[in-house]
Amino acid sequence: MARYQAGDFAAATALIECVGPQLHRFFLAQFVSRADADDLLQETWLRIHRVRHTYRPGEPVLPWFYAIARRVRVDHYRKASRTTAREHSLAEMSQVAAREDGQAADDLETLLAPLSESQREVIRMMKVAGMSLEEVARATSCSVGAVKQRVHRAYESLRARASAPGPKKGPGGGQS
Amino acid sequence: MKDDEIDEVLQRASGIPHEVEPALLKRVANSIHPSLRPVRPLPPTRVLTAGLILICAAVALVGAARTGFYGIEKLSLWERVLIFSTLSILAWMAGKELVAEFIPGSRHRFSPHALLTFASVALLGVFALLFRNYRSDHFISAGIACLLSGLLVAIPAAFLSWLLLRRGFAVNPVSAGLVGGALAGISGLTMLELQCVNFQALHVLVWHTAVVPVSAAAGALVGWALRRRS
Repeated sequence: MARYQAGDFAAATALIECVGPQLHRFFLAQFVSRADADDLLQETWLRIHRVRHTYRPGEPVLPWFYAIARRVRVDHYRKASRTTAREHSLAEMSQVAAREDGQAADDLETLLAPLSESQREVIRMMKVAGMSLEEVARATSCSVGAVKQRVHRAYESLRARASAPGPKKGPGGGQS
Repeated sequence: MKDDEIDEVLQRASGIPHEVEPALLKRVANSIHPSLRPVRPLPPTRVLTAGLILICAAVALVGAARTGFYGIEKLSLWERVLIFSTLSILAWMAGKELVAEFIPGSRHRFSPHALLTFASVALLGVFALLFRNYRSDHFISAGIACLLSGLLVAIPAAFLSWLLLRRGFAVNPVSAGLVGGALAGISGLTMLELQCVNFQALHVLVWHTAVVPVSAAAGALVGWALRRRS
């Protein structure tokens, strides 16, 4: 990142190849189409490039990338809601995301579907992107305590849903 | 389902490499190539925080100097220490949080709302402890005059703070506006404590303290408007 700030094109390319797929997956997990995720990734890198001086060497880099990606995603939702009146139900969008990824991703989306957006986000960052509690807190502009609470509530909700009688969603099984 | 099973599914999902078209990554790299120049990183948080506190103190002093430092002259030593040390601590907390708002991926110790609530409660506590005269002469007219004076001082404080942080990037403009407004409000309140000689408890508790939340609300509104424009 320091070399990117110094204007090294090779370092910039290496960063894009390393972090790009993670950010693409982050967008795809928000129930957007692959084409939208591609656009969001490009938009995010342009934004990252414009504000690359705000990264300070020595600080964790992933929260910095994710914080900017979150802002781009929020802007995208806002623009989309302004320009289109069409709304997809969560279930329909979940199917879109599940179709485009593999079986494990299908399991993941099915598992996380009942959670709130903020809970899904922290679970994905921690368990899929492999970020620490501190890094997730930085990326989401929350305190570590707030992230812990969200993870705790997410697990509670998943456990409650799994143990509830009647039709339920489980890993790999979808509706069982 | 147990935690282990949940973890297993999550781990399985995280294990799959996510493929992105190489052409897309190449396109992204090529799009930034023409404007790739060396950039100077932002100064450390403590430097920016100190700069913000200096701005707020300077604006409050200049604001109070226009009418005279009559308020601080009438305060006892104990009152001066308690009021201005509380304002300094709150300014430091808000300044640090404002810097964090302008640097993506920064550590946040409090949410903006928690900070505003804490600041308001702390100020109310200190004022309630120090001022016991519950008469209220010219409550509305004197109060509105003080509130407006405080807000008028908050405007240049907010503008200069923005100038200092203009190279930063606020990922949430509403939160940044709220914290910036609170900091500017603390500057306005500091000016009032330096110059206002009305020590009636209700006047100080209501109108002086109100400068901080009103300024914070105005800041959040500006942030919201800027976000809508972007």
